[in-house]
Amino acid sequence: MDFAIPSLAILSSVTPPAAMLAQSDSFAGSGLALTIACAITAIALVLLMRPGSTGLRIAATVGGLAGFAILVVEVLKRAGGEETSLSTVFPLVFGFTALAGAVRMVTHPRPVFAALYFILVVIATAAMFLVLGAEFMAFALIIVYAGAILITYMFVLMLAQQSPAENEGGAWYDRVPREAGSAVLIGFVVLATLSEAYFSKSAQSFRDDASERTAGDGMAKAWQRLDGMPKLLLETSQKAVAIDWAKTRAEGDKSPAPKVAEVVRDARGKAIRMMDDQASIEVRLADGSARSVLLQPELVPDNSRQIGVDLVSKYPAGLEIAGVVLLMALFGAVVLARKQIELGEDERRELAGMRRLTVDGEPGGSGGLR
Amino acid sequence: MNGIAHTLLANSDAQAVNLALLMSALLFACGLVGFLSRRNMIIMFLCTELMFQAAALAMIAFGKVHHDVSGQVFVIFILTVAAAEAALALGLIVLLYRRRETLDSEAWSELKEA
Repeated sequence: MDFAIPSLAILSSVTPPAAMLAQSDSFAGSGLALTIACAITAIALVLLMRPGSTGLRIAATVGGLAGFAILVVEVLKRAGGEETSLSTVFPLVFGFTALAGAVRMVTHPRPVFAALYFILVVIATAAMFLVLGAEFMAFALIIVYAGAILITYMFVLMLAQQSPAENEGGAWYDRVPREAGSAVLIGFVVLATLSEAYFSKSAQSFRDDASERTAGDGMAKAWQRLDGMPKLLLETSQKAVAIDWAKTRAEGDKSPAPKVAEVVRDARGKAIRMMDDQASIEVRLADGSARSVLLQPELVPDNSRQIGVDLVSKYPAGLEIAGVVLLMALFGAVVLARKQIELGEDERRELAGMRRLTVDGEPGGSGGLR
Repeated sequence: MNGIAHTLLANSDAQAVNLALLMSALLFACGLVGFLSRRNMIIMFLCTELMFQAAALAMIAFGKVHHDVSGQVFVIFILTVAAAEAALALGLIVLLYRRRETLDSEAWSELKEA
């Protein structure tokens, strides 16, 4: 309450200059604007974490939004002079949703709501994966996180339910954060370091170079993966032949495309030939004639097939170890959660094959009968 | 063929990647702050899951930069470790809760049996 006024003053005095700084070109490369924006969001977060008045919370939210806006503007500026198009809006919206969910999760006094906000974060992150072209991982993330891990968390939250009297507005240890100031300071240092590492001029140009260099390379790698999948290769070559057939056949000719008998491999066992980023393949048709067809870019194996092949061909050891890790986690969880059953004297005697001390039907025995 | 996202984003990949990296940094910082400052043990572990998410997002963004699916393969391993961690951590939390009847991590600051 008492620090509402000064913090408001700090926020209102810091935000406009920082925004101007972000707009001016002289500071664009220095990274100072990024650091200042990180600091603003950090201050906003520490205000949100302490239990305070509504006015203070609103001020902190506005400050946090301002810092976030500066960060986004700076980061988009570094991505190159392209116009901000509609397609930038999607990652922006999903990213904002994820961040809002994360902040609410960290600041919410009730654990169940924190878990629910985490589901929001998971879904927004999955949408971000989709935008980045990782379709398989997006849905795997939703299934594994929102479907399995979060449900486990919910179960444990229910098992560890506080008593109703204590539950008015959450337990005290949920309402009062521990050392919020120093925690946010550490978070700020991490954030500033990460943003400097990600978005400094050299990092950005390195990233642009890598992206340019590997654009064709990525395609070639995808075709190579197809080379290792004989069945899919045959299907793909059939499709390529069909496309080729549709293009070259005479007008009005409705005959179906010739069947592919087999894919011809060269001396090194490679079926797909790369020439200037253009993949082609040689096939033997059912009638015995050979034909060379271009592979259209849209015939490249889709995301989940590529991941599958990469997983088993490049990282088989990792896959095995992942299985062992999961098995050990299963054992560990069973051992940890096993309930210790207290055995009475009678039960212990029974297990040892001895007679009970008390007789059935006799009330008030020392061991007690159930 | 390869999804709507590809055709939509053909010419603003760099912007999408930069935004994803920014999000991953912000999510990681949020998770770290939450882990350090919350007292509830369950929320602390939720915050580690948040940091896992941030790491996965960064993996996928850098995979996009290098046009390589290895980044996405690594996310599978991250998911594995996250699932294993969740199972073990929650088992531990249930055990600790049975002993002290509280989820406050301060109750265990002395690390000895009651």
